[in-house]
Amino acid sequence: MSNVADRLRLLRKDAGLVSRLPAHVATTVPSRVDSLRKLLHTRERSVQKPLAAPAGTEIAPGVRYVEHSFAFETEPDLHVPRLADAAIDRRRLLCFDTETTGLAGGVGTRAFMIGVASWDANALTVRQLYLTTIAGELEMLKIFASWLREDTVLVSYNGKSYDAPLLKGRLRLNRVPHRLGELMHADWLHPTRRAYREILPNCRLATVEREILKIVRDDDLPGSQAPAAWLAFLRGQSSRDLSRVLDHNRQDVITLMHLGDHLARSGALRVEPKIRK
Amino acid sequence: MTLSIEKTRSHPLAASAIENLVTRWADKYGDRITGYIRRPAQAARYAEFPEELSADIREALERRGVERLYSHQREAWDHVQAGHHVVVVTPTASGKTLGYNLPVIEAVRTARAKALYLFPTKALAQDQVAELLELNRAGDLGLRTYTFDGDTPNDARQVIRIKGDIVVSNPDMLHQAILPHHTKWAQFFESLRFVVIDEVHTYRGVFGSHVANVIRRLRRVCAFYGVSPIFILCSATIGNPKEHAEALLGESVHAITQSGAPCGERHVLLWNPPVINPDLGMRASARSQSMRLARHAIRLKMKTIVFAQSRLMVEVLTKYLKDVFDNDPRKAPRIRAYRGGYLPTERRETERALRSGHVDGVVSTSALELGVDIGALDVAILNGFPGSIAATWQRLGRAGRRQQPSLGVMIASSQALDQYVVRHPEFFAASPPEHARIAPDQLLILLDHIRCAAFELPFVTGDRFGEADVGDFLEVLSESGVLHHEGERWDWIADSYPAGAVSLRSVADGNFVVVDRSAGKQLIIAEVDFSSAALTLYEGAIYMVQSRPYQVEKLDWDGRKAFVTPTTADYYTDAIDFTKLKVLDRFDGSNAGEGTCHHGEVHVVRHVSGYKKIKFYSHENIGYGPVTLPDQELHTSAVWWQLTEVSLERAFASRQEALDGFLGAAYALHTVAAVRVMADGRDLQKAVGSGDAAWFATRDTQGRGQWRDANGAPRDPDSTAHFLPTLYLYDNFPGGIGLSEPLFRQAAELVQQAIDLVQGCECSGGCPACIGPVLNSEDSGVSTQRERAATVLGLLGA
Repeated sequence: MSNVADRLRLLRKDAGLVSRLPAHVATTVPSRVDSLRKLLHTRERSVQKPLAAPAGTEIAPGVRYVEHSFAFETEPDLHVPRLADAAIDRRRLLCFDTETTGLAGGVGTRAFMIGVASWDANALTVRQLYLTTIAGELEMLKIFASWLREDTVLVSYNGKSYDAPLLKGRLRLNRVPHRLGELMHADWLHPTRRAYREILPNCRLATVEREILKIVRDDDLPGSQAPAAWLAFLRGQSSRDLSRVLDHNRQDVITLMHLGDHLARSGALRVEPKIRK
Repeated sequence: MTLSIEKTRSHPLAASAIENLVTRWADKYGDRITGYIRRPAQAARYAEFPEELSADIREALERRGVERLYSHQREAWDHVQAGHHVVVVTPTASGKTLGYNLPVIEAVRTARAKALYLFPTKALAQDQVAELLELNRAGDLGLRTYTFDGDTPNDARQVIRIKGDIVVSNPDMLHQAILPHHTKWAQFFESLRFVVIDEVHTYRGVFGSHVANVIRRLRRVCAFYGVSPIFILCSATIGNPKEHAEALLGESVHAITQSGAPCGERHVLLWNPPVINPDLGMRASARSQSMRLARHAIRLKMKTIVFAQSRLMVEVLTKYLKDVFDNDPRKAPRIRAYRGGYLPTERRETERALRSGHVDGVVSTSALELGVDIGALDVAILNGFPGSIAATWQRLGRAGRRQQPSLGVMIASSQALDQYVVRHPEFFAASPPEHARIAPDQLLILLDHIRCAAFELPFVTGDRFGEADVGDFLEVLSESGVLHHEGERWDWIADSYPAGAVSLRSVADGNFVVVDRSAGKQLIIAEVDFSSAALTLYEGAIYMVQSRPYQVEKLDWDGRKAFVTPTTADYYTDAIDFTKLKVLDRFDGSNAGEGTCHHGEVHVVRHVSGYKKIKFYSHENIGYGPVTLPDQELHTSAVWWQLTEVSLERAFASRQEALDGFLGAAYALHTVAAVRVMADGRDLQKAVGSGDAAWFATRDTQGRGQWRDANGAPRDPDSTAHFLPTLYLYDNFPGGIGLSEPLFRQAAELVQQAIDLVQGCECSGGCPACIGPVLNSEDSGVSTQRERAATVLGLLGA
């Protein structure tokens, strides 16, 4: 019973935890690493060669940058009464969305991809950053922070409760000075909910996009599969799905610009006494 | 034994009502009182306010009637100003709170410092905030003090993180909510100058080992924010406050052990219930005595607290007192029960009722041993020895706040430990309190917290975690996909929240909830921890809450739920269980007389076979019921003694006699061992069996050894070829918690003490005070059970 792993496995069982580890009888005394391996049900992994990144250029070690521009004709201003009395110059808007390693929350969850869309002269430019190594995070965050100007107005979908706090945490952890907390922030989730709560089965961005904006996506990778896609790439297993994550993220920030226009046109951005009930 | 009862008689007309009561009891029950300890009132020792204390704080204190400090408060101030970590060890109500509030408030006001206060329970945290708010109001000090616990609403949390000067929380919240979100607390951590941890004596054993690791994580996060706060620890009296504080903190700590606070005179009686059957050495129950004394004291308008050893006993005693004092349902109850497992709102309500003086008697488990403010009480009655000298004084200290004289009575049960203590009053009066022990590097606990720490901040190759080298852990955690290893860094990469899966309160996971589903509702009425579920929630069990009996109808073991309905049963139930052990690994061994003594790892199987129904009041056994539950398994460390067949054949006429001897010796060794280590009796267990779980021995109703096979069926001891009885003392925690190893090192002294205990006993053939309750019938042969135990111990002695 000198086998640490067996010991731990049994302790976990005593502790009322379900053990998924096989019974094991030690014949020789293994090293602690081997013992812990058995405990955690792992084996030594051969080191995989890094894969070629699916897109973009290496803008800093471990960080790749992807840029796309599209023609996008719209009004030069957007009126968001909740944020400002006067209409906002559309060039100030920065639609953003992150892809993260999970939804567990807490300091241990990070963004591996940040996409932003900005408009100028009837063109929409989407800029995306993603990590090819964990060590690239600091540079990625610095570049993102440099995109935030004093007069930037952030636009997101649920970003006030999710993406912005998460990025703030990562910026703080990496000691990157930033103005994320000081900027105006329009989160379309709330006006969308107010307008469509009773019409749509749910108010997820994909639903709103399909049912209201009539945008159809080809071969979309559901957002929930993004963490696994990035991990597969990071571990040198496959880069195929990561390029689909890039597409997904890009469409999300484009949709944000469309959705703003739609909400403004339909009057959902107006500040009014409650219409329903 | 009587100890200076004359002293009381010499003050027959003493002014104090307490002294009158002591005198009356001494006159009436003199032969039951085995010891009388009188701790004189102690005058206060004062010290001046420190020069550097701000004038407005001093004024706020003066407005609240504090004109100078007690000596220990000043000592704490001086050491904190010098940058030392301190641990303050002083009795209840000695003003230790001001001892840490003073340096904290000063620094908050002059240096915009922040402080984190940790209490073991929410109730204590709320008390603390109430006190700080009062001082704050008295001086208009502008302190922002908040509690942060599981009940704090989400919108309040952000305010607390940013605005709180003093955040009052508990280790569980630090572990599950603060550290894993430390970036949200960045401003707080950047200014964190003080961490106050109260009641550190409760952080021992498994819980303490977890808390030590949470403190390692806290210090790691503090280092990230560039701060190194001063820790101010407080403890009830324990034998090793400095060592314990240093084990928790991993740094040098200055101990302040002299209290300058005054205290009233304390009268303590050690009480042994009268012998009712001299042949069996049987005494009246502790319960009968507690109830008699509690009724008497409450009738004399003395606020009384009764401490019981188990939740079950709390309910039984509450019922008995309520039957006397609460039989008018139109009036507010005079008697309350208080214990773990009640819902928080119910406990707060009882605390309030106690503080306001509306309750005349309260029956509690150790839950009220801590510093929850329940106002002034006059009499503390301990129904049974709490298992340690430290806990005994802590409980006795519940009576006699505000310098009034107080009375404590420690009533011995028939258990050996109780009998040992009550018959050795000099031991009780003179012996220093026990040591608190933790094992922060226990493998399972360490693994849990390295995971949590990696989530909070990446590890860099070569990092240590406390004392531990974490390289191996990082490697396998990375192989399991939880960490990502890149260059020198090990980053958390999994989509999970490791702190959510780790409970500090025990290694065991998954509390059981007790659900009342009468009247078509599903109402949670209590929680029971995993380790005691099998003993209290089997189907058919009577489970009591505030002395209302509920019957368990269905136990969903995997779902961790027990469904109950109210019942009017006139009985309660008690589980019948037995234990078998198997040696897995020997760490160390030595000779012990003619035999051997070892220390190592064992596999323990505990089986609940059925339960007894016991009638209220008469306590007669009125029936049995079967229990079918999974066996409780435990891998833990143990110390054990063995004698060879040859030695046993020389010394005993039969294997049966040898078995009797082993059971008696186990009883005596367990008693002296439990006194030596600061374990509740429950944390250290005993057993007799073979070394391979092929058989084990229990006592039958007569106290004779009974040989049972691995399935629990009785067998003839002569029926096997090999006979190698083994006597075990084991840690009652998964993985062990460091009790048995020191016992192995002191094995020779232990055996000698057990010999003294057995030989020095005044009984004839064995009694609960030496080798356990036995019935020496005529046909039991030439030797008594006590002699057989002495023989086994003699063979194991040097």
